[in-house]
Amino acid sequence: MSILNMSKLNSSRELEHLREQLRRQRQNITTTVMVCGGTGCQASGSSAIIDAVREELSSQALDLSVRLCVTGCHGFCEQGPVMIIEPGNVFYCHISPEDAFEIVSQTIIKGKIIERLLYTDPVSGKRFQTQFEIPFYRAQNRHLLSQNLMVDPCSIEDYIAVGGYSAFTKVLNGLAPDRIINEIKSSGLRGRGGGGFPTGRKWSECKEAPGDEKYVICNADEGDPGAYMDRCVLEGNPHLVLEGMMIGARAVSAQKGYIYVRNEYPLAVKHSRIAVEQAREFGLLGDNILGSSFSFDVDIARGGGAFVCGESTALMASIEGKVGEPRPKDVHTAVDGLYHKPTTLNNVETWANVPSIILNGSSWFASTGSHGSKGTKILALTGRIKNTGLVEVAMGTPISTVVFDIGGGALNGKAVKAVQIGGPSGGCLSVDKLDLTIDFDVLSEVGSMVGSGGIVVMDEESCMVDVAKYFLTFLQDESCGKCVPCRLGIDRMLEIITDITEGRGKPEQLALLEELADTVSQTALCGLGKTAPNPAITTLRYFRSEYEAHINEKKCPAGVCKALIKYSIDPEKCTGCGVCLHACVYGAITGSKKLAHVIDARLCQKCGICRSECKFDAIRVA
Amino acid sequence: MLQYVNVSIDGAIIHAVKGKSVLDAAIEYGICIPHLCHVPYLSDIGACRLCIVEHVVNGYSQVTTSCTLNVEEGMVILTNTDRIRKLRRNIAELLVAQAPNSRAIQDIALRCGVKEVRYPFRNEDCVLCGRCVRVCTEVWKARAIGFVGRGKDRHVDHPFGIRPDFCKQCGSCIQLCPMTVPPCDGPIEPGEEYLCGKCDSQLIITDQTPDHCVWCKLGESFGCGRYV
Amino acid sequence: MPSQTLIQILKGRRSQPNQLIEVLQDIQENKGYISEGAMQTVSRGLGVPIMEVYRVASFYKAFRLFPSGKYVLTMCMGTACHVRGARLLLDQAASQLGIKPGGVTPDGLFSVEYVNCLGACALGPVVTVNGTYYHHMTPGKLRKLIETLSCEKTEDSQNVHTQYVEAQ
Repeated sequence: MSILNMSKLNSSRELEHLREQLRRQRQNITTTVMVCGGTGCQASGSSAIIDAVREELSSQALDLSVRLCVTGCHGFCEQGPVMIIEPGNVFYCHISPEDAFEIVSQTIIKGKIIERLLYTDPVSGKRFQTQFEIPFYRAQNRHLLSQNLMVDPCSIEDYIAVGGYSAFTKVLNGLAPDRIINEIKSSGLRGRGGGGFPTGRKWSECKEAPGDEKYVICNADEGDPGAYMDRCVLEGNPHLVLEGMMIGARAVSAQKGYIYVRNEYPLAVKHSRIAVEQAREFGLLGDNILGSSFSFDVDIARGGGAFVCGESTALMASIEGKVGEPRPKDVHTAVDGLYHKPTTLNNVETWANVPSIILNGSSWFASTGSHGSKGTKILALTGRIKNTGLVEVAMGTPISTVVFDIGGGALNGKAVKAVQIGGPSGGCLSVDKLDLTIDFDVLSEVGSMVGSGGIVVMDEESCMVDVAKYFLTFLQDESCGKCVPCRLGIDRMLEIITDITEGRGKPEQLALLEELADTVSQTALCGLGKTAPNPAITTLRYFRSEYEAHINEKKCPAGVCKALIKYSIDPEKCTGCGVCLHACVYGAITGSKKLAHVIDARLCQKCGICRSECKFDAIRVA
Repeated sequence: MLQYVNVSIDGAIIHAVKGKSVLDAAIEYGICIPHLCHVPYLSDIGACRLCIVEHVVNGYSQVTTSCTLNVEEGMVILTNTDRIRKLRRNIAELLVAQAPNSRAIQDIALRCGVKEVRYPFRNEDCVLCGRCVRVCTEVWKARAIGFVGRGKDRHVDHPFGIRPDFCKQCGSCIQLCPMTVPPCDGPIEPGEEYLCGKCDSQLIITDQTPDHCVWCKLGESFGCGRYV
Repeated sequence: MPSQTLIQILKGRRSQPNQLIEVLQDIQENKGYISEGAMQTVSRGLGVPIMEVYRVASFYKAFRLFPSGKYVLTMCMGTACHVRGARLLLDQAASQLGIKPGGVTPDGLFSVEYVNCLGACALGPVVTVNGTYYHHMTPGKLRKLIETLSCEKTEDSQNVHTQYVEAQ
């Protein structure tokens, strides 16, 4: 695709003119092939597919009428590599480079469907031809994620062609800061990073704060393990986030912005950098944007690998080149933030929602969602569930809809036992709570939280005490260590839970655990420490029987805690094939050919290799 | 010109200098709020969390550290509620379980009402109060020591673990360190840790007048702000 | 990305203390670790006290203060990978190579690291070797992978990947 205009745009009119040109240019396109180039599909080998398709299109002289668009994440990572072909909304999954020839010659040229590449629903066994029909997608409201499909993240022209930056020009040409802020306030948009703080109120506070030097920051640290929504939006549609920031900067009168991306997302860093470069080239960032008096520029800052840097004051310290140690927030960062100047810090998804609110109006946004939580939320649905991936639903959707209608329920016919929402700061909910809705207030009332939107599904093979131990270990690792309650409190909580998982638990330790959890949550200096006890508190509240089994019976019902389980071979299922015997490096398995094998518990190190090698599911853990 | 504000601490209306912390105002007035990482001539970082108080705003109580909270007109502060006492006691319990081999830490535990230690004792040499680091950084500007590492691994060290030549061995860090004075009955060997609690007389005095400063011996050991 | 010298990395950033983390990132990418000498140069170049440089370098996980092995095995310890058994993978790597997480084998061939989420949750458990992703890993597959890498004589990790895949 040739770039029509490399010179700076000097007015909104020139931008509209460019938009028209780009649209006219794309009228010759008959077919669009969207291949996912997100991190997930790349890990499954999509780069090779993209090259193969490109080569095939070129050899068939189709590159002028067929557009190959390498998009950001489609959200259905487990089915990757994924491809969608329009018109027809044909959805292919699990593609390999060898399929490129067939796809081009059959589907693109002749319009014929290749059956074996279609998606098969694991629940019903049905095959679906279009993305639209697939149950996983149908139950969603993909307001933000669908936009990922329309653009190549490294192409500002794509973004402009589909209407990008029109919200910004609307703002530039006549929406005063107060009006912008009122729109955001009435929309009901609340922070999507975890805090759920009303965005309009934050912007207002920043705008009213004294001082001429102000900043806006995009928090793309996304430290919650199991969450990759922000990666997806930033990798797949960086200009959307940039546009949101530009509107916010205009509203609070900031001159400089930062996108703080975590170190572990190299593709998101790369795409944000390209987007900023392109915006500068086109005169959408820098001095006197589009010929107006508004000057604003953005820089990308990389994280150093610290979960605590997702906390606003720690993030700001990191941008300042210091260690990511939070400081007390008796004064909001909207007033005293980066370099002690008023700063508006928002999450990637929050910024991404802003342009459409400006274009479609606050009532449009507020028409989706529940009473206290408006709009949609992107969730990362992972764990022991059939359909893992990124999901976007309207706020107020019941968790059960997400887990069963979209997620397809637990793997391998097992039963869902618990759903963990909100990452390490969130809580585990038992199955009877799944009618609760994805809603800031509803979830915090039961001790959980929407958080960044990570949902991890657990089945009967997940030990809830082990889950609490996992999160505490994570938080202990990530704690900055400055304050006593977090540094020592989490350590002692972990000590108690480790005792419990290793068979040394005493009944009185549960009360101590609760008291300590309460103390830490009230006295810690920052959000990390204050919410650290949540996984332990919620698992104690809703799964107390598991703790009691570990303590009183020295048993791990789920078969996870190594000290309390034994590996054994089910003689009914064992065929005597000998695979496990050869796989065991500790010599713990004995047996003759075609006869049931036996594990010697004294030698067994519970490494799990035999279980992963056995093709007959004959290894038992209890 | 100094500006003054009126704040209410435990019901007493205090005329405090604007810009001061609640902790400074309370200490000056004679209200006892336990503290460890606070040193009058160093910056306040709110790390030990012992100086927590209840800050009442719109009917809600927020628990916050008084050393980082600046006085403002009409502020209402409660330093000695049951809630605060329990939280403070639990924090002190964590501290003494971590580093019992110090008179200052034992005294703090006593002052905060720790009666039993429900965790296995450890015998650490450092409670990471940061006094040493701050005096080296802020008073001498030498920056010969600092916090290194993160979380459980956080510790005080020289750059690369070697004393640099710009450390002039002034000894200020040692002077401020709460770990340098052993417990009254002598240094505690690993494996023999215990909770002292011997200065009963001191405790009775502080219990009778829970938030008034009584110039107790306990404050001496950890360099209480009143003594400076 | 072509290797950059320390001077090139510091270009345009002199006397700007807030560039400390960016500079250390570039050094980490280029040299694989941050040496004492590099920290001294950065301290002088940016005007940041050496104590502060050392403090920042030791605080962030992204920075290694010692050279890593030829093959850096990174296990994802994210929640999604954890419930699919990621812990067993870390144990497997540690026991098979005889080192603790964060350590390097005496022959300098392997480092074992862990990271708190790689963002490829649907493909978990995930292990990366010098940036190449291996998904749906099990302890058995990991053991085979490490064995394959131990025997590998060439520098090409892509070659290793093919060998490993063919052996499945």
